[in-house]
Amino acid sequence: MSFVLKYKNLEEEREIPNENYSIKDLLNDLELSAQTIVSKQNGELVIEDTVIQEDDEIQLVQIIYGG
Amino acid sequence: MQCSKCGNPKVIIKKEQSGQLLCKDCFIESIEKKAIKTVRKEKLLDKGDKVLVALSGGKDSVTTLEILNTFREMHIIDLCAVTVDEGIANYRQEGVDIAIRHAERLGIEHKVVSLKEEYGITLDEIMQRDNHKGSCTYCGVFRRTIINKAAREMGATKIATGHNLDDEVQGIMMNYLEGNTDNLTKLGAKTESKAKEFTVKIKPLREIPEREIGLYVVAKDLEVHFDSCPYAMQSFRGEVSEVINQLAEKHPTIKYSTLRGYDKIKGALKEEFKKDYSHGRCVRCGEPSANELCKACSFLEELGL
Repeated sequence: MSFVLKYKNLEEEREIPNENYSIKDLLNDLELSAQTIVSKQNGELVIEDTVIQEDDEIQLVQIIYGG
Repeated sequence: MQCSKCGNPKVIIKKEQSGQLLCKDCFIESIEKKAIKTVRKEKLLDKGDKVLVALSGGKDSVTTLEILNTFREMHIIDLCAVTVDEGIANYRQEGVDIAIRHAERLGIEHKVVSLKEEYGITLDEIMQRDNHKGSCTYCGVFRRTIINKAAREMGATKIATGHNLDDEVQGIMMNYLEGNTDNLTKLGAKTESKAKEFTVKIKPLREIPEREIGLYVVAKDLEVHFDSCPYAMQSFRGEVSEVINQLAEKHPTIKYSTLRGYDKIKGALKEEFKKDYSHGRCVRCGEPSANELCKACSFLEELGL
């Protein structure tokens, strides 16, 4: 069970570690703040509670930068 | 889970402060309505105004342009824009290009002014000097002077900036914590100066959280420059912002209540603390100035320019 993560210049296949693994869990694993990111699942904007499904493409867009 | 307004199951935001869920269309509408409400409540626009948008190509200024354009389409105001090119390698050009494309898309008058052309030096070159005062000090002063000048040259009656809720709350708290009562009187939705050469500044986005502006541009597929300024550093603003965001996690309405509280006491603050600056002219450039030299010219003299 895996999904594709796109973040900045990174594009990688990642394992879904457990059932009900959400985008919020992914952000925690990547140590990213949900306050600075918006998320897309297969090209559509979604909220962070969204559970990641097999073969999903999850794109994280950083919208807030310091300075 | 469905949109609290229309029932669409494709929800893109859960508003922490209210628990409201919104789909893409209802979210976009809510942001535009909120900015329009601020414009009306604070009387930011008058019919026939020519509004100059300080357009960096970032999310806040592009959103400001997009929302003010609805007033232009209704023939209430005219719109123009200025972009300041500070001369920061590998950073500014993308924002400038995006700003040009937005101005062309809307068919509005647009001007790009560079520090190099205006003052003969780029911000990168200033930062190579040994005795510089820090990038933000020069950038803020030079940018403000260029925008004010552009407003006069383009015949603008208002200058619109992209300050959002987070920026405003940081400004309120920073000035309060520093005991800077003078600067505290200058915040707010609309700032006017007694010197007629300083165009009135308005902030249509001041009640919209920064994250929601980011989500708005992504939802509307607006081209913006998402990047960090290479000179961004651990500033006092950054520290204050971090504390406010930490508090907001447990108290999601805290930014709004800080703004509301400030708006309630602003009148009294102005009454008590507003300084009546004597406005003369800078002997070097002729811009309005409280001192012999305006801030921009005093920096230029220090830099030997």
